[in-house]
Amino acid sequence: MHEIGIAEDLSAIVLGTARNANLSKVTKVNIIFGKMVQIVPDIFIFAFRETVKNSVAQDAEVDIEIVPVKMKCKVCGSDFQVEENRFACNVCDSTDLEIINGKELFIKSIEGE
Amino acid sequence: MEIKIMKNILDRNQDKANEVRNLLILKKVLMVNIISSPGAGKTTLLERTCEAIGAKFRIGVIEGDITTDRDAQRLKKYNIPIVVINTEGGCHLDSYSISKVLDSFDLENLDVLFVENVGNLICPSQFDLGETFKLAIVSTAEGDDKPGKYPMLFREAVAVLLNKIDLIPYTNFNFESFSTDLKKINSQIPLFEISCTKGDGLEGWYKWIEDKIVGYSGIG
Repeated sequence: MHEIGIAEDLSAIVLGTARNANLSKVTKVNIIFGKMVQIVPDIFIFAFRETVKNSVAQDAEVDIEIVPVKMKCKVCGSDFQVEENRFACNVCDSTDLEIINGKELFIKSIEGE
Repeated sequence: MEIKIMKNILDRNQDKANEVRNLLILKKVLMVNIISSPGAGKTTLLERTCEAIGAKFRIGVIEGDITTDRDAQRLKKYNIPIVVINTEGGCHLDSYSISKVLDSFDLENLDVLFVENVGNLICPSQFDLGETFKLAIVSTAEGDDKPGKYPMLFREAVAVLLNKIDLIPYTNFNFESFSTDLKKINSQIPLFEISCTKGDGLEGWYKWIEDKIVGYSGIG
């Protein structure tokens, strides 16, 4: 249920941005989650709605883009997508890797009027 | 109108975690964020560890619990500084709660600070507390599928303790399957097979953590 804590931080960013931009209504919130963070979109959206009740963002649509886990091999330099939790380079089999995508908890933008 | 933001939702937690980490580096205190399911043996591991290395190192403990101070009560007999954080329903600790209680410790006189996170395999992996590293504990009674189901924790942790190995004959725990899954996710990670109640395999853990503390704080 880390969805709740993350939704609270998200709503603070959304409402702060809306206030600074003098929005009277937030219509959409666009976010990106990496697959590794194991967020359940339905629970997250439910939690977010609770945190923005009676605010300018109460009716905002939430768009969640889930990005796959992608790593870069530090030995041969190739990029690859992690399938079935296999964290090894698909070219040289090295396990010396750095993460490129998959841990995102990003807010991309908000839309409003 | 669309307003671009492009920032990490947990920036606030991350900034505070960086502050905590910098303070602990300055004070040369190793902070270990212990993550496991409820009942995997975090508190028992801390009991054994206090008994084994408590005379050599100055240990402090932060006990994260949804409610009650029962875990802290169990550690009272070791005469070490302990602070309880009750999350009142929250499923993980965050860097703000850690930062608030650090004032209660005399950091100048501490070598290692163990943080017993709330029992949970998902949420605590997501929140940086400012720790030096994360440690994962799994017990055999939970089944052998935990690395495969919760890969993030096993990628983030620097060591894994497999507890309750004395119970393997009474469970359907398959060590081969556990170890294959773990190696796929994190091939180099040290794995300690232990029983905190019977004492099996703990020497290897004591040696490992002692080396980490000495390497970090420069004492020994």
